[in-house]
Amino acid sequence: MDEEKTAVDRGVAAGLKIVSYVAGDDGGQRLVSGSVWQPVNTVNRQAWQEIERQIGISKKKIAAGKVSCLHYYMTANQMNTRLLARYTGQSRWRVRLHIFPFFFARLGSDTVRKYAEVFQTPAIDLIQGRLSPPVYDSGAYEINCAD
Amino acid sequence: MTVERMRSTVLTEFPHIQSAHCESGVVSNLLRHRGIDISEAMAFGVGGGLFFGYLPFIRLNGLPLVTYRSAPGSILNRFAEIPGIDMCQEKFRSRKKAMEKLDVLLDDGIPVGLQTGVFWLPYFPRALRFHFNAHNLVVYGKEGNEYLISDPVFPEPVRCPADDLVRARFASGALAPKGKMYYLTSVVKRFERSSLIVNGIKGVSRMMLDRPFPLIGVKGIRFLAGRLEKWPKRLGSGAADLHLGHVVRMQEEIGTGGGGFRFMYAAFLQESGKEMEEQSLGDCAALLTEAGDRWREFAVMAARVCKGRGRPGDTYRAMAEKIRECGLLEEKVFRQLQSWLKERL
Repeated sequence: MDEEKTAVDRGVAAGLKIVSYVAGDDGGQRLVSGSVWQPVNTVNRQAWQEIERQIGISKKKIAAGKVSCLHYYMTANQMNTRLLARYTGQSRWRVRLHIFPFFFARLGSDTVRKYAEVFQTPAIDLIQGRLSPPVYDSGAYEINCAD
Repeated sequence: MTVERMRSTVLTEFPHIQSAHCESGVVSNLLRHRGIDISEAMAFGVGGGLFFGYLPFIRLNGLPLVTYRSAPGSILNRFAEIPGIDMCQEKFRSRKKAMEKLDVLLDDGIPVGLQTGVFWLPYFPRALRFHFNAHNLVVYGKEGNEYLISDPVFPEPVRCPADDLVRARFASGALAPKGKMYYLTSVVKRFERSSLIVNGIKGVSRMMLDRPFPLIGVKGIRFLAGRLEKWPKRLGSGAADLHLGHVVRMQEEIGTGGGGFRFMYAAFLQESGKEMEEQSLGDCAALLTEAGDRWREFAVMAARVCKGRGRPGDTYRAMAEKIRECGLLEEKVFRQLQSWLKERL
């Protein structure tokens, strides 16, 4: 890559200055400080759009009463039932059952606490079906769908 | 989980030098702390860091694994095997014990390398917080309940609360770190570098050319080209674009040094060429830089397609052709390196 191609873009890495190897005029590779390269930004944004699309689908399903709010937390934190099962020390089929509102509403407080710990959210949010932001997005609550 | 505090402040002098890739950066920084001046590229090359593998049966977020580097931990293992370097590597079952051991080592003034899951590290930019569990960093101190961390891909040292670091050390899923920590116990002051360089090159050339398995090395690059060509037909355009974006992400994301580690390896070959006074290594570096440029051209084209702003020539077939060109160039590089190795015998 030529030196002039290290374009500055503050998009994806929030202005984080990284270093990468760049060939100078003599062909010698050297470490150059710069921001994230433009095409990386594009594909990274694409990955996040896909995550956001899935979160959107999940919210619709919750509103329709098809899945419990656990589905939102799992999707927003980029997990699937297998990974969530590992984190909470349960079998996968149990987590799958908890995705159904019927079983989720009947969860014991210990299990809810386990989920709350993984998602770093108060257990009451899970019980009341409040959709608080994922681990990487601390801030105000997004929406309240406690119905 | 709360981790018991030992002394309120423990601080070891540690040379934080930013690097392009975490594992080679950590190795180079740990050795620098012991007074051995070794560049990141040299650590990457000696550790045999370059690789290619397209492994569709391993899925990351539902997308096939494409890797441009050797398995996580392999650079460390290579260094641990070098005579004169004593490295202690440990994994833990208990979170409490893992953090206690870390604190004890920090108390003794030993900087400790850790394998962590990026998702749980709060100092990472939001957009890079995926479930990737093979990120390496060095903890060199503790202040109150915060650890002082030299994360090689960051320009400055960072801080991380103990609770978050525990989560990152015990992240679950693929490549789970299981609390892995490593530190140097003793290191000799001088190395005979040329044999290490030769061994590093030998290992990578063998991986890239001589493995019968069709999904790795140069064969793997061609295999990916063949698959990529068929993605729009097999998966539909939406899913094909996602797959394509994933290939580029693995190639160019932070930690690759750009061009899927090809530029970094070229830097290693240049440095080795100078050190051993071997012009042919420099020639191979130039060729590998060209391969890296081809990978970048592919990435630019792919990014346009993913954005939905493809130019007339930006087809999956054209992108597959670019990848085949990369394969051809890399085959040339490693054939030349192999004949250079034979001449030395």
